[in-house]
Amino acid sequence: MTHQKSDLPQGTLDLLILKVVTQGPIHGYAIAQRIQQISRDVLQVQQGSLYPALHRLENRGLLTSEWNDTETGRQAKFYHLTAQGQAQLKTETESWKQLAKAVRLILESSEADAL
Amino acid sequence: MSWWRRLVRRGEMEQHLDAELRFHFDGLVAENLRTGMSEPEARRSARLQFGGVEQVKEECRDARGTRWLDTTVQDLRFAIRSFRKSPGFTITMLATLALGIGANVSIFSVVNTILLKPLKAPAADRIVQVMDTFQGNPSRTPGLPEFEVWRQQTQIFENVSAYRLDLVNLTGSSNPELLPVARVSSRFFQLFGVPILQGRAFSEEEDRPGGARVVLLSYEFWERRFGKNPQMIGKALTLGQDSYTIIGILSRGIDTEQFGQLPDAWVPFQIDPDTPEHGSFCFVAARLKDGVTPARAISQLEPVAEAYRQKFPGYYTRKFGFTVQPLRDAMVSDVRLSLLVLAGAVIFVLMIACSNATNLLLVRAEGRRREIAIRAAIGGGPRRIIRQLLTESLLLSLAGGALGLGIGFFGIRSLLKFYPSAPLVAALNPINLPRVGQAGSALAVDWRIVIFTFLLSLLTGILFGILPALQASQVNLNAPLKEGTGRSGIGPHQNKIRALLVVSEMTLAVLMCVGAVLLIRTYVLLRSVNPGFDAHNILTMEMSLTATRFEKTAEMDRLVRDAVERIGALPGVEAVSSACCLPLETVWQLPFVIVGRPLNGLSHGMAGWTFISPQYFAAFRVPVLRGRAFTERDNQQAPRVVIINQVMAHLLSPQGDPLQEQLIIGRGMRPEYEKDSARQIIGVVGDIRDQSLNRNPRPAMYVPIAQLPDEINIVNLRLLPVAWFIRTRVEPHSLSASIQKQLRQASGDLPLASIRSMDDIESRSLARQSFSMLLMTIFASSALLLAAIGIYGLLAYSVQQRTQEIGIRLALGAEPGSVRNMILLQGMRLALAGVGIGIAAGFGLTRLLASFLFGVQPRDPLVFIAVPILLTGVALLACYLPARRATRINPLEALRWE
Repeated sequence: MTHQKSDLPQGTLDLLILKVVTQGPIHGYAIAQRIQQISRDVLQVQQGSLYPALHRLENRGLLTSEWNDTETGRQAKFYHLTAQGQAQLKTETESWKQLAKAVRLILESSEADAL
Repeated sequence: MSWWRRLVRRGEMEQHLDAELRFHFDGLVAENLRTGMSEPEARRSARLQFGGVEQVKEECRDARGTRWLDTTVQDLRFAIRSFRKSPGFTITMLATLALGIGANVSIFSVVNTILLKPLKAPAADRIVQVMDTFQGNPSRTPGLPEFEVWRQQTQIFENVSAYRLDLVNLTGSSNPELLPVARVSSRFFQLFGVPILQGRAFSEEEDRPGGARVVLLSYEFWERRFGKNPQMIGKALTLGQDSYTIIGILSRGIDTEQFGQLPDAWVPFQIDPDTPEHGSFCFVAARLKDGVTPARAISQLEPVAEAYRQKFPGYYTRKFGFTVQPLRDAMVSDVRLSLLVLAGAVIFVLMIACSNATNLLLVRAEGRRREIAIRAAIGGGPRRIIRQLLTESLLLSLAGGALGLGIGFFGIRSLLKFYPSAPLVAALNPINLPRVGQAGSALAVDWRIVIFTFLLSLLTGILFGILPALQASQVNLNAPLKEGTGRSGIGPHQNKIRALLVVSEMTLAVLMCVGAVLLIRTYVLLRSVNPGFDAHNILTMEMSLTATRFEKTAEMDRLVRDAVERIGALPGVEAVSSACCLPLETVWQLPFVIVGRPLNGLSHGMAGWTFISPQYFAAFRVPVLRGRAFTERDNQQAPRVVIINQVMAHLLSPQGDPLQEQLIIGRGMRPEYEKDSARQIIGVVGDIRDQSLNRNPRPAMYVPIAQLPDEINIVNLRLLPVAWFIRTRVEPHSLSASIQKQLRQASGDLPLASIRSMDDIESRSLARQSFSMLLMTIFASSALLLAAIGIYGLLAYSVQQRTQEIGIRLALGAEPGSVRNMILLQGMRLALAGVGIGIAAGFGLTRLLASFLFGVQPRDPLVFIAVPILLTGVALLACYLPARRATRINPLEALRWE
């Protein structure tokens, strides 16, 4: 079985999902749309990895879900964040910022150019 | 959602997953339609965008974390389907495993009850039995002065309690009966945490000599005799001649099994702290103080024993001491070894069952090579295949274990039903199985048995399943798929494994059979041993004279004479006698002194001591070899006399005339015996095995009842009921009613108990031997059966595999006889190898059985010749059936078979 490659760096999909879900109950299709919109179509979410990620997060207790009607009247599975998910989002955001800062420092430093 | 709900509501979960993904897919389609695609185009594009739906679903299931369960459920379903398709295999497998595991469950449930279950008592692990030791051998029945000394050792013990079971007549009503009455010191109920249902326990004052006559009733007796009348407290109960006040009723089901049967009533022991009664016994149990180990208690008791020896100079030598042993161990010490031997035997049975199961699985794996190859070809890795095959094995072993639990537990319960019930005074009797209760009623399926069975089943399943699973997982993808029917010959490697399994099965079966036959020989020899008396046509019954007017020797003598005369007048009665005790159940031992011989210490030795009435030797048909038997004239007024047995006669004067000697009996045992004067030896009788059939006769002394000093009579009547023996010319039980009537008339309506024939007593004395023999025989037969099935299975399969080859041989003109011999040889080579190894191993291992054998050596040549012949015969039969089938192969059909 080959692993489905994501265009996103490893682990970032979970972070993005948690971030998107903070804005209230939302179903999987909308999560994919939202990520694409906000990133101005830079980030393409592979549908194939979205759902396993959602189920994994739910299983870890970071998300919960319930079945509700959409505005079109269809039943859909809406996810929302748990307290545990909230905390997880906070720590992961922190560490992502740290990482991004460190990477940028390296990329912009003159020492690195000298290498 | 809990994992349990996820597992149970798998269907719902799947539906939700499907709906969720479909919603997403429809969203994609709708958007595509909005961008102006046609419907089919929109769907196609969405499908491309989404990717493989099944793959996503699979990953979602993985993410849910119930994957291992899903897989297991899937494997189990598949296993059950495939077992259903091969009922022959499944039934053989389950029967084999149920037999193997059941044998272990049966022994474990006995081991559990006897050796493992804690005593019912608070801080039970600190309860010990306190004992005397003579030359390092513990004696469970110390004298009362020792109890007093131990009771003072408060730095070692926090509660020291004495117990003894007496048999006393419940009188004072129209329906007298013989009651087992326990005498206990006041803190006994505390020691064992016995709850009191009504009333109260004894006070310290009531336990002092001359204290109030009070009694506690057991629940069972209160229910049986008084119909649970709630107003019994304060009422009187007449035991013997004395009236006791009922002060309490104990709760149901208290556990005094450690001391023998459950008493009906409990009275205070009232031991005199200054008692000089060295010969009066009790059992002593104590709770060690917190932090005191048995080892420390033993070393702390050393100076106590030293002081005790000095307090009674001359009574005790340096070889006398005190010891403690955890009570549970003390209770079961004499059955532990036989249980361990049986436990070893059932492990052998399980090992044979495992070998058989492995063999069956290997055969089955042959038939499944194609299936396994297909699994591997479509992506099942070796681990996945091993897992699935092990799931199948575990399913089989757990089902077999559940069956085994039923078979084993109910099997042993029904075998124990045949175990003879305890005699009246059971505490001194080594025949009973301790702690199992009446007919094994104390055996229960508890968590220990369930966990044992479960773990054993798991272990068994892995043990027999792992090898076939490993082998099946190493599939060559090509070969099995190319073959049409998957009917390839078995590889030589596999053949070797299977042959090895069959050889080891035979080896174990030989060992089991050797053990069983040795025990059978022992039992047969014991049954045929000459006890020195004729047990046929003797009826025995027991009567308690405790606290009656018959405690006076003259009264008892009158009773015996009267009864002998009355019963002797009944038609069909040949001889009537009374005695202190029943041969094969109790024999008192007393020290003796030979008058006029230099004495170093207190006595010249110990000898059996039985008081009897004149017709005793006639009733038992014991020959009088020299001198004479007792007559009516050997009474209170006549000179004191004693009769000895041959062993004792030889001991006294190997060459000289024992009839010239005089004996002083019982000196130093307790003050009462000092009253007995020297006795002239007037006769020598034949030796009888009165202790047990497997023990050589020991020196024995017999004295007439009429000549007992009153004090000795009282002591002995309190220890044991008197026994009556009636030799009849007809079936003894047929005279029982009329004999009882005469005895009741002679005794003024004293109750009779324990009416048995001497034959019963004799066979009962072998209860343990016959029980282990029976179990061992059952297990050995199972082992033999399993081993035979093993050989048969191997050959039958081999013949099937070689159908084509044999067909060719026959077509080319091979004689059916030579084909048959070829197959026979193949099987018998293995069988004989197993028998050979088994016999060699047996030569080493039967030593372990030595202490259970009687009259037969552990390496008894007869056994070591008979067992190989028996097993070879069985193996020959098991090989013959497939060999005969081989000769009936039709060459034409065999060649066309592909």
